[in-house]
Amino acid sequence: MDESITFLHSSDWQLGMMRRFLGPDGQARWGQARLDAVARIGEVAEQTGAAFVVVTGDVFEHNQVERQTILRACEALKRIPVPVVLLPGNHDALEPGSLWTSSQWQAHAPEHVTVLTETTPFQIVPGVELVGAPWRSRRPLSDPAAPGYADLTPEPGIIRILLAHGQLTSLSGGMSDVPTIDQTALEAAVADGRLQYVGLGDRHSTTKVTDRIWFSGTQEVTSPEEDAPGNVLKVTIGGDEIEVEPVRVGAWHMVDHRVELFDEESIQALEDWFAELPDKERTYVRLAGDGSLPLPLLSRLDAMIDAQGEVFASVERWAKFWTVRPAPDAADLESLQLSGPARAAMEELRQALAGGDEGAGAALSLMHRLARDAG
Amino acid sequence: MRLHSLALRDFRGVKERIVRFRALGTTVVVGDNEVGKSSLVEAFGLVFELPDDSKSTRIRDIQPVGQDVGPEVTAELSLGGRELTYSKRWLKNRSTELTIVEPDGRRQSWTGREAHNEAERLFHENVDPVLWQTLMVSQGQSLVLPTPADAEPLITAVTAESGTPVDGASMPLVTAVEHEYLRYWTPRGKPTGDYARSAKTVSAAELGAAQALQAMEEVQSDIRRAERLNLDLSDVDTRLSDHLKSVEELRERKKATDEILLRRDSVRSRAETARARLENHTRTRLDRERLLDEVERFTKFEAELATRRADADLVAKTGAEMVQAAEAALAEVVELKDLRRTDVQAAERRVSDLMDRAELDRLLGQQTELVDVRARIAAAGTILDRIKVDDAIVAALEDARAAVVEARAALAAGVPEVSVRRLGAEPVELSGTGLDGAVPSELGFDEAAQVLVSGELVIGVPGQLEVTVRAGGEAATLRSRVDDAVRREKDLLKKAGVKDVAAARELLRKADTATAELNEARRTEKSLTAGGDPGERIAVLSARLGPEDEAEESGKPAVEGVPGQMSLFAEFAEFASPHDTLFDDIDEPAPAPDDLAGAQRVLEEARSGLAEVERLLADAEFAAAQARKAADEDRSEAQNARARSELAGERLESAVEALDAARAVLDDDGVSAAESEATADVEAVLEELTVVQEQADAAGADQVAGELTHALAVAKRLQGERDTLRDALRTTEGRLEQSGRDGLATRRDVADLELAAVRAEHDSLERRAEAARRVYETLSRHRAEAQTKYSEPLQSRIESLGRSVYGPSFRVWLDDDLAVAERELDGVRLRVEALSTGAQEQLAIITRLAISHLVSTGEGSVPVIFDDALGWSDKARLRDMGALLGRAGDHGQIIILTCMPDRYEYVPKATFIKLDA
Repeated sequence: MDESITFLHSSDWQLGMMRRFLGPDGQARWGQARLDAVARIGEVAEQTGAAFVVVTGDVFEHNQVERQTILRACEALKRIPVPVVLLPGNHDALEPGSLWTSSQWQAHAPEHVTVLTETTPFQIVPGVELVGAPWRSRRPLSDPAAPGYADLTPEPGIIRILLAHGQLTSLSGGMSDVPTIDQTALEAAVADGRLQYVGLGDRHSTTKVTDRIWFSGTQEVTSPEEDAPGNVLKVTIGGDEIEVEPVRVGAWHMVDHRVELFDEESIQALEDWFAELPDKERTYVRLAGDGSLPLPLLSRLDAMIDAQGEVFASVERWAKFWTVRPAPDAADLESLQLSGPARAAMEELRQALAGGDEGAGAALSLMHRLARDAG
Repeated sequence: MRLHSLALRDFRGVKERIVRFRALGTTVVVGDNEVGKSSLVEAFGLVFELPDDSKSTRIRDIQPVGQDVGPEVTAELSLGGRELTYSKRWLKNRSTELTIVEPDGRRQSWTGREAHNEAERLFHENVDPVLWQTLMVSQGQSLVLPTPADAEPLITAVTAESGTPVDGASMPLVTAVEHEYLRYWTPRGKPTGDYARSAKTVSAAELGAAQALQAMEEVQSDIRRAERLNLDLSDVDTRLSDHLKSVEELRERKKATDEILLRRDSVRSRAETARARLENHTRTRLDRERLLDEVERFTKFEAELATRRADADLVAKTGAEMVQAAEAALAEVVELKDLRRTDVQAAERRVSDLMDRAELDRLLGQQTELVDVRARIAAAGTILDRIKVDDAIVAALEDARAAVVEARAALAAGVPEVSVRRLGAEPVELSGTGLDGAVPSELGFDEAAQVLVSGELVIGVPGQLEVTVRAGGEAATLRSRVDDAVRREKDLLKKAGVKDVAAARELLRKADTATAELNEARRTEKSLTAGGDPGERIAVLSARLGPEDEAEESGKPAVEGVPGQMSLFAEFAEFASPHDTLFDDIDEPAPAPDDLAGAQRVLEEARSGLAEVERLLADAEFAAAQARKAADEDRSEAQNARARSELAGERLESAVEALDAARAVLDDDGVSAAESEATADVEAVLEELTVVQEQADAAGADQVAGELTHALAVAKRLQGERDTLRDALRTTEGRLEQSGRDGLATRRDVADLELAAVRAEHDSLERRAEAARRVYETLSRHRAEAQTKYSEPLQSRIESLGRSVYGPSFRVWLDDDLAVAERELDGVRLRVEALSTGAQEQLAIITRLAISHLVSTGEGSVPVIFDDALGWSDKARLRDMGALLGRAGDHGQIIILTCMPDRYEYVPKATFIKLDA
């Protein structure tokens, strides 16, 4: 493709985002990682010779992020050697008190960074026009992308790139409580040559809508639900050709893992699974578990999960989907050689548990432990 | 365990002593203080506790003071079926020896450390420390109520009794559970320790998070507000700009309409002036009309007055004529009167004649008076002779008079009458010619003079003025006429020798009187002659009557020959008058009677005729006077009329002058022309005005101003609105900027994070705490159940023992640790602490005895040892307690150490051992 233009498309940096499940240490490292990923975008730009970088919304988690976040973001941006164009999204909308208009940002924003505050086409490099549809409020009343290309007319010889932020009607599954982007309209705009590329943001997973309509996804994973996060899109447009290639810049993993626990083998299997995961210290695991375990195995499971918690960035039992029950069998109790009141008490608890009393489970395991230690 | 004997040597104050105890039953060891009762107990304790090489101070303590000897203890006891002899020597030539005789009689011995260890092992194996501690009551502890729950033998015993299985191994578990529970809960079940703390941290974190959230929500609401404000602001801005546009339009319109209004004003003012001018012209016209009308009126008036004047003059003239007529009539009557008078005279003469004649007959009688009578006659005759006036003259005079009067009247009417009155101090001189009326040469102050001027009158105020009044032309003739009349009158008067008519008449009357007198005198003479001197009388009569004598002879002709009689009648005949009646009787003239009576009758008639005539005369005079009066009035009337008409004349004149003057300025047509022109102007201007007004209305000129001001007000309001909105927006944005600087969102997230963390921790703690409690409560419940089961034997034991002391109403309740919690006596239930010291001590003893009783059968039984107990009980109780102790002895080994043997004298079959120093 001769005289083609290459640029990078990223979005949803969500700088300043907090993740409860990571814990203080994890949070700190992950926060840094998101900045590093931005820096890495800079490297990618260098390697790919991208002419510029566009970030389609939610650069910041909030308009009211702390100063540190802004300053560090500016630092990270300086690591990108080409012009950067930022689009205000729903998280950092151009609403009153917006970060973009704040003295802090304006004081520290690097020279080569442009924030799209208007919908007027803007020439980033000769022959390439950016039109942005910045969010002016958290609650737009209509298709948030429409203003960007509403009254555009095809302009031959000009590559026009629309930067928009929001859910696509098709992908939001009607769950979105704010107006969604009209995909058909977009496709029409692309089809009749008004737009050569549509860079979308808000969806954290890299998603190809059409050849020319993409969600870049977030640069660094933010939730186990995301299926393809941590990429930046390398977009090359030349003539009628377009080539979009995700390039990984994220370093973290967030995974959901579902286990059935009923015996020693199943626990072993979980241990093995943990063992095989890469980048443990940069991985968050959310465990969904079901089943029931004899008291000794249960305590072993607890011990194991605690241990993994230390190794991984964070390991969480997914409260919603964690239903592993203690299943004390007679043998356990016999081995304790309890008699009299103690035995009677334990028996009672056991029956309560059998009757579905969760509290009883905990009590039982405790008593089991105490008896064992005391015994 | 049974303690058989204890041997002490060089132990504290004790040199050497051996005490043997009954294996079953009560041994009371009696000894004063310091003889070493307690040493026994101590010794027994030490021998199992401390090895012979122990450096414990407790060993030092037992070495007799100041003796370098080794304290030695030997204990004989049966333990777990074995018989033990165990002796130990500390400090000096230390040694430990243990000999055991198995139940089967096998005999074993140990020495030294081994011995110690073996003994210790055996002891611990067979003696439950808790029970041992419970049942060995050292000095001053007798009050302490035993808590034997964990005393294995007891448990076993009660278990055996109650049949409830009690789990020995559970004891540590119980402790562990309790310990675990207390990690999270206070004994009373309140959270404590980390758990309580974490709860606090959570609420703190919650507070923090809530605040952070609150702050963030404020930010959100600020954002919303700002957004709203932005919308409102733009809305107001657009409204304002639109409005300002309209204001501008209004301004434009106003400018336009102002021009119209200006024009209207000018037109208006012009209309004003036009109207004013019109008014002027109308006024002039009206004036002119008035003038004309006046002139007309005055001319008419004047004419009227003139005619009136003429009439008045006419009336005056007729008046004058009537006067003349009256005068004429009067004159005739006067003539008639004269006739009558002549008649009377004739008649009288006749009568007198006749008298005379009659007298003559009586002449002689009246001779004497004759003289005088004759004199009177003579006098009368002279008077009569002197009077030259007769009626003819009077008539002439009266004519002359009338003429004068008339002339005068004419004059008066014909010449001005000047009346002068002096008002000031200056003298006023009057002089002149042809002046009628009293004309003084000078007038005094406030004097007045009225002068008819037929010549000229000069009124002068020396040094001040001189007025000359000249009469008109005809005045002279009038004057001359008057003069002639006067002159004629004067001549007549001269002829008659009187000064005026009145005088003439007077004279005439005199003459009459004189005549009457004469006649009267003659009558008198006659009568006189008749009465007296007939001679003389005769003479006279003959003198006078001489002729008459002849006449008397020829009488009639004399009478007929009375001169003038006929002519008078003739005159009367000629005189055509209204008084015909007067002459009726004259028509047939009475024939002069010859007789007196007849003559007198005639005379009477004559006289009445005269009277008649005189009446007529009066009437005539009256009529004349009336006529004259009327004439005078008419004349004055005429004068007024003249005066008025003259006045009218003047007014007319002035009116005409005014009119002429006005006309000189502008002639009548000019006036009306000017007016109509002015009217035209006004109408024109009004036309224009209406046009302009229409334009103004069309342009709404008059509303525009109001609209403009209103619009401006609105604009102002809108601007105010906008400004307030702006300010609000600014402040909000300021706040937002600040909150951005403070990174409120981050703060909130951090706070949430912290909260989540502490919550998580708290939750796990809570789970653990709950588990702990669950376990604790469950276990406790089960233990409690068990214990209540197996505390029954102990309880019943205690109660049965107690009843022997307190009677059947005695009951106790045990707590979980099998310690007596409450005691009931005679229905009064009290907590133990509430009992009297004595009662407590007794209860303690009873409990111990009960325990020992329970365990006595089992392997683990141990002796009950009381060191100086019952110190608090009164005699009565001592007896009962004694009995009790005695009975207790039946089941176990009871050792009582006391310095008060009498306390225990009631203990049946007790062995008393006396210790001596």
